Amino acid sequence: MIKITNLHKYFGELHVLKGIDLEVKQGDVIAIIGPSGSGKSTMLHCINRLEEPSKGHIFIDNEDIMNPACDINTVRQKVGMVFQHFNLFPHKNVLENIILAPTLVKKISKEESCNTAYELLAKVGLSDKASSYPNKLSGGQKQRIAIARALAMKPEVILFDEPTSALDPEMIKEVLDVMKDLAKEGMTMLIVTHEMGFARNVANRLIFMDNGLIVEDTEPNTFFNAPKSDRAKEFLDKVLNK
Amino acid sequence: MDGYLGVLYHIFIKDERYMLIVNGLLFTLNVTFLAALIGIILGVILSLMTISDFKPFKNVKSDRLSYLRDFNPLTKLALIYITVIRGTPTVVQLFILFNLVFTGVLETSVFVIAVIGFGLNSAAYVAEIIRAGIQGLDKGQMEAARALGMSYGLSMRVIIIPQAVKKIMPALVSEFIVLFKETSVVGMIGGNDLTKAVREIAANSFRAAEPWILAALIYLLLTTLFTYFMRKVEKRLKESD
Repeated sequence: MIKITNLHKYFGELHVLKGIDLEVKQGDVIAIIGPSGSGKSTMLHCINRLEEPSKGHIFIDNEDIMNPACDINTVRQKVGMVFQHFNLFPHKNVLENIILAPTLVKKISKEESCNTAYELLAKVGLSDKASSYPNKLSGGQKQRIAIARALAMKPEVILFDEPTSALDPEMIKEVLDVMKDLAKEGMTMLIVTHEMGFARNVANRLIFMDNGLIVEDTEPNTFFNAPKSDRAKEFLDKVLNK
Repeated sequence: MDGYLGVLYHIFIKDERYMLIVNGLLFTLNVTFLAALIGIILGVILSLMTISDFKPFKNVKSDRLSYLRDFNPLTKLALIYITVIRGTPTVVQLFILFNLVFTGVLETSVFVIAVIGFGLNSAAYVAEIIRAGIQGLDKGQMEAARALGMSYGLSMRVIIIPQAVKKIMPALVSEFIVLFKETSVVGMIGGNDLTKAVREIAANSFRAAEPWILAALIYLLLTTLFTYFMRKVEKRLKESD
């Protein structure tokens, strides 16, 4: 459902992505790991063109989003995104945060959007927070609302950009649990993460990136037990404190 | 009437001199409000120009002209305007407007020149306030809105501008207060504002201290009122956070 071919990204002189090829199938849960500066987040941001790719093609449902005729706003309705810093809208309450895009972009009636929103709030375990403002929520709660907000657009795939990196340790689990449920339901997910346990237990594919390239694309267990490249071995040694 | 009250009577009441103050104050307030209106409208336009992403030459192939790719004529124009206005004194701008532009080309009343002059001046400051307000917002807000499929315009309207307005309100009100006080130089091009009226009273009554203290009190009273309203509005805005 997503196909990336020869994706390059430059920031001025800096060559951040050096030819990414990747195919994502329906239902894939892909953990993307690698050292910082390896281009993981940039790649994710290119998939919905929040970052303009410099070269290459990205097909979403066979539509090339690099084609000038492509309406990126329509594509983005199918591609949800969850950010490291949540990015909830502080001047809107939780319910408004969730129904804003469905009502304004998809033109779904307010009543129907609210019903969906309450279902989603129940799903992320925050039914009692519908009328709270984001500044009254903890980090973990904010991120669960952000996931509900993304789900409200009924996306085909959700991009997670380090969803737990800005959280206090005791709040990481509540967010990962929600993501685990999503994975079980068959949601297609691309997750840039530093949570190795999560990558190993929940993802069905693991991508290791280094220096703007995908170095390994394999099963999580294979990767953790027997990484092929030296670079991956070195990385695992560091993050697993071996 | 005698004693000090007699002196005050002589200064302010005799020959209906208080009417100078009333008319002067009206002139000052009218110029301030109309100039503020121009300042806001033009300031919004200028600020949108400075943050716009309008790059008409971004597809230039030639390497020799590569600098044109990032050239944004709207931003450039707005920045030049802001630099010139903020880099020159208001009085000088008024004199230029008065002597070069208007008297030369067409006959216009001092009131209109003052409104236009202060309006053009204020716009540059308002533009900078708005630009800072919008650019000071977390970049993630725009990203989140766009990632949900909202267009640039819709994201600006529903997400960015409502948050920016809250942030810039206090700065806008203080710009309004600065504008209000700055109109006191309008007498130099012949405007009959509050300051000019007081100067006349002082000249006619041969007493300077009382008229000038009264002028200070009137300015102070009004700026305090504006500040009071600003605090109220600010509090209201905070509550909805």
